[in-house]
Amino acid sequence: MLKSLSAGRWNYETAAHLLNRAGFGGPPAEIQKLADLGPDKAIASLLDYENIPDPTANPVWATPDPEGMKNLRDAIQKATPEERRQIQQQQNRLQNERMLELRWWWLNRMAKGPRPFQEKMVLFWHGHFATSVEKVHNAYYMWRQNELFRRLATGNWLELLTMAGQDPAMLIWLDQAESRKEHPNENFARENMELFALGEGHYTEEDVTEAARAFTGWSLDRLTENFIYRPLFHDNGSKTFLGRTGNLDGDDVMAQIVAQPQAARFITAKLWNYFAGQPPPDALNDSLAAVFRGNGNNFKPLLRVLFRSEEFYATDIIRNQVKSPVQWLVGTARMLECDLPPVQISWGITRTLGQDLFAPPNVKGWDGGITWITTNTLLARYNDAATLVQGTFPPLAASDFAHKPGGQGGLKIERQAQRVHVAGVTVEKILSPEERASQDLLVAALEHRLLQTTLGGKQQKALREFLASKTTLDDADVLTAIRLVMATPQYQVT
Amino acid sequence: MLEHWSVALLQSQRNFPITPSLHHSITPIFPMNEISLQTRRQFLRTTVLGSALSWTVPAFLADTFTALHSQAADSATQIITGKDATILVVLQMAGGNDGLNTVVPYANDFYHRARPKLGLTAQKVLNLNGEIGLHGAMTGFKELFDSGNLAVVQGVGYPNPNRSHFRSTEIWQTASDAVKVEKYGWLGRYFDNCCAGADPTVGVTIGSQLPEAFFAKTLTGICFNNPQNYRFMANGRRSPDGTDLTEAAYEKMNEADMSGAAPDENAGGSIGALAAGMPMQGGKAVDFIERTALDAQVSSDEVRKIADRVQNQATYPASQFGNSLKLVAKLIGGGLPTRVYYVSQGGYDTHTNQIPTQQRLLGELGDSVKAFVDDLKAQGNLPRVLVMTFSEFGRRVSENANGGTDHGAAAPMFIVGNKVKAGLLGTYPSLAPQDLFEGDVKYNVDFRNVYAGVLESWLKTKSAPILGRPFEPLQLV
Repeated sequence: MLKSLSAGRWNYETAAHLLNRAGFGGPPAEIQKLADLGPDKAIASLLDYENIPDPTANPVWATPDPEGMKNLRDAIQKATPEERRQIQQQQNRLQNERMLELRWWWLNRMAKGPRPFQEKMVLFWHGHFATSVEKVHNAYYMWRQNELFRRLATGNWLELLTMAGQDPAMLIWLDQAESRKEHPNENFARENMELFALGEGHYTEEDVTEAARAFTGWSLDRLTENFIYRPLFHDNGSKTFLGRTGNLDGDDVMAQIVAQPQAARFITAKLWNYFAGQPPPDALNDSLAAVFRGNGNNFKPLLRVLFRSEEFYATDIIRNQVKSPVQWLVGTARMLECDLPPVQISWGITRTLGQDLFAPPNVKGWDGGITWITTNTLLARYNDAATLVQGTFPPLAASDFAHKPGGQGGLKIERQAQRVHVAGVTVEKILSPEERASQDLLVAALEHRLLQTTLGGKQQKALREFLASKTTLDDADVLTAIRLVMATPQYQVT
Repeated sequence: MLEHWSVALLQSQRNFPITPSLHHSITPIFPMNEISLQTRRQFLRTTVLGSALSWTVPAFLADTFTALHSQAADSATQIITGKDATILVVLQMAGGNDGLNTVVPYANDFYHRARPKLGLTAQKVLNLNGEIGLHGAMTGFKELFDSGNLAVVQGVGYPNPNRSHFRSTEIWQTASDAVKVEKYGWLGRYFDNCCAGADPTVGVTIGSQLPEAFFAKTLTGICFNNPQNYRFMANGRRSPDGTDLTEAAYEKMNEADMSGAAPDENAGGSIGALAAGMPMQGGKAVDFIERTALDAQVSSDEVRKIADRVQNQATYPASQFGNSLKLVAKLIGGGLPTRVYYVSQGGYDTHTNQIPTQQRLLGELGDSVKAFVDDLKAQGNLPRVLVMTFSEFGRRVSENANGGTDHGAAAPMFIVGNKVKAGLLGTYPSLAPQDLFEGDVKYNVDFRNVYAGVLESWLKTKSAPILGRPFEPLQLV
């Protein structure tokens, strides 16, 4: 199990597979570089991202603002009910603007940033610790949680699990901030075990109640915008949790969880499923878990073994994972070497394809896999391809952007969306004059860049017929051809 | 080719329920050299390792089938027939509608004491029984009530009421207990349990996203705001004869390759491991996507054809909500094999401006539903249809200081149809302060009992597997 792929098997196809899964894909030149490096160096170039400088600035408001929070609180206290309503409306508008900025910031990190593997891991943790701004209502907290995932992306599991539990967005999301010894809130205690660390069936209801008691005291200081431990909230009694007894606190609970053999199996299975596109067979997962535990529950060494393994490059793994909406959008921008459409449209695309960043439907996150594909989302992918490539877009309704049915919040964004300019793809960037002039070379170039494999016979014939319907092809025709390749089942997998 | 077909079909009979569908669009004669989209789909389905994935059998094939195998008629799986199936229309009143000013206890002292400004007097309501009246704007509903087509289920809610839009909507959509989080919606579980083999139009949402109620293990259902946009948007380059070249190319590029046994000719390696979230053994992701592409094409053609062909036979209010119901009426009239339609009306979160807002929204609701009923009656389809409203919560008994009310708990639901047990169902919750829960109306009927009633008596299926445990069905029809 987990034998290294032999160097002789390393080629353009395996390099493409690595870049697609460990990152968001890329143009042929980038894949070729990885192919030339050989497997060890290729993997290192992606995984050891600390060596790659990342100069991207943070949003200007992504910083604690205790004075601002204090002023806001004072203003609310002094305000009349009517003034309070106005302050609330102002705050809502501010948070909506910041969330747009935040989505744009993160999407661009994924599409243009120098560390695609780190961002792919942030996306994993974002889906794993699925937290929604619809309850947190605070862009700064959402940014902070995102940054936490970035900082600890491939670090130590106990550290990440603990910090994720003490993260302000999480403290609000799963009601831990208000939990007190008189009436402990079980939401966080339960989901932490069920969804984040162990899975159902590996703890009892009693463990949930005892953990909830132990976590009391973990709270949020909304003025300093930080985790705070409140001794008065904490239940100091003796608790028994997963076999350990004592005056346990939150740190003890986390340590006891991660010490379980199941903890390793649970998270390695999730990681394999995310990168390989299907759940691991038991024997494979046992091996992965053993590597993980053997490395002190640290992710980097495990992932190095994962990406180096023969199993990762099996024929039923390659090109057999449905692209998530974010992968679809960001990967397209990378492969076609173009910009993301303006934020209103990029956000609208991720929403209509079913993955609203920072707003998962609930704490269980997104199922992924073929659940990304319905008649609606598939048609949306086929139509959004026109937007990305040609700069035109299908009519988006205000209701596509609204959080509430009836489209109230969305009208402003709809109007913005109609005024923005989508640059689309620059043909010279991605096709040589020779490729443009020859039907055969053109089709081959598009297959190579977009699919890393060939279309079926009938599909090629249809594409050629389209290209042959005009004596000379202008840029618009070439872009339509690109769009047609993107509107195939093959383009939806990676 | 035809012979291979019939053989494959007969061999796969046990897996696939017969669901004649889209019979309006299928020509009864099947030409040997022109393979329609429908037949292409059927071919795909039978060649991929006996998959149990949702599929439809065209009407003419189903007829052949029934003639050949009478036991097909005894199939235990629910058979969805376009003409006879009952239809549920779910109307979401989004935002948390104030039930107390909708179904109004106009003679109740507690009501008026709690609402000196917002309270509606006898003159402002449409009297139902001397104590309770409908909001004055709901003339449409009053007509339906008087003609025996409206039931009002009073005091509907659930234990441990949650006052968050997000969370309470989720509770209604997933029919979960307030303390649990369920992944799938109640209608999604209905589709999973009862509609295997159904066309993806078995659930239709007029909107831009499938509601959480539709989330399912095998996600199905389609949604659109405008039938003209539920399609592949071509680029407009036309050949001399007017064919859109992009559309022609797209259709051919999304045809599955029917020449070989394995649709994916690049599948060099083993079709081995069961992939995450895949409904069948040994399939590849592209196979599933190919079938979805065909489903999309067929359903999009069908929806547009119906929307163009069918005429409404009633006048609807000119609003997004009115237009949505207008469209649903067309789709029903056009014979789309849908079991559940879902439409949303937003704006009910009346923390302020409640009087004008409810006047507008409730008027629109009543008038649109009345037009809808009239339209269906003219079509002859009214006996098949049941309409159900819901909102994520009612609102607090006391008004606030801003001309509105804040998030509350229990509220009424409306059920409309000509098979409905019309009138006031349940009891009006007490508004005496000692009978309230933290200032909110207590529920008398758990909404799961209403869902159970709809599932059992209207959609004709056992409700316990769908709701997670048995709930006594409320008698609705």
